Amino acid sequence: MVETRILDGPLPPLDDASAPGDGQDGAELLFHGRVRGTEADRPIVALDYEAYLPLAETELRAVAEDTAARFPVRSLVCLPRIGRIEVGEASMRVTIRSLHRTEGIQALAYFIEQLKDRVPIWKWGVTEQGERFPSRGGHGPPNP
Amino acid sequence: MPGTIHVNLICFSLVKYALGKDQLSVELPAGATTDELEAHVRELAGDALPTVPLRVAVNQRYAPAGAALSDGDEVVFIPPVQGG
Repeated sequence: MVETRILDGPLPPLDDASAPGDGQDGAELLFHGRVRGTEADRPIVALDYEAYLPLAETELRAVAEDTAARFPVRSLVCLPRIGRIEVGEASMRVTIRSLHRTEGIQALAYFIEQLKDRVPIWKWGVTEQGERFPSRGGHGPPNP
Repeated sequence: MPGTIHVNLICFSLVKYALGKDQLSVELPAGATTDELEAHVRELAGDALPTVPLRVAVNQRYAPAGAALSDGDEVVFIPPVQGG
């Protein structure tokens, strides 16, 4: 089962992600991307996420289906958020369930890498003074 | 005007910041490609647009570099994404 939804609002309660299921899942990986207090070495109070929604929804779904085809996961749910998100808040949730942990961990790593290469969602830093500046992006260690 | 096309350029992230606009209509010679449009955008933006690679989407799908454009196309240049 693959589910992807881009949310213009808060994530659903965590209970929804941690339901018992059908008793066949030996592993559940829960990943939250969170907003750091610095962007491009500048202190910020929030990130403002924007998306090219028609393409972002298509690519997000394609990346999730590709991941589910490559790794034997039993479910993959990805909920990225757009709009203003304060420092410390979660900007994205990924939940993967699998029979065993190994394929789940591999699937999560692959999925996040692909997401950050293909899905057109961008960050704007927001300073305490209200200035907005676009992130330069990049996918190396400084921008995990 | 004969021999020209108009495309709708929608701007995000670094492109939006550099051009100062969410979108704009661009007139191009008939037969123009995304490469020519990118060159036009970079000329408009000047130094405000850093030399990051830009992918391109045409009509809400990723397109190969140098794809031919048609009248009425929706074009987005995609700076490096952050994915969420």
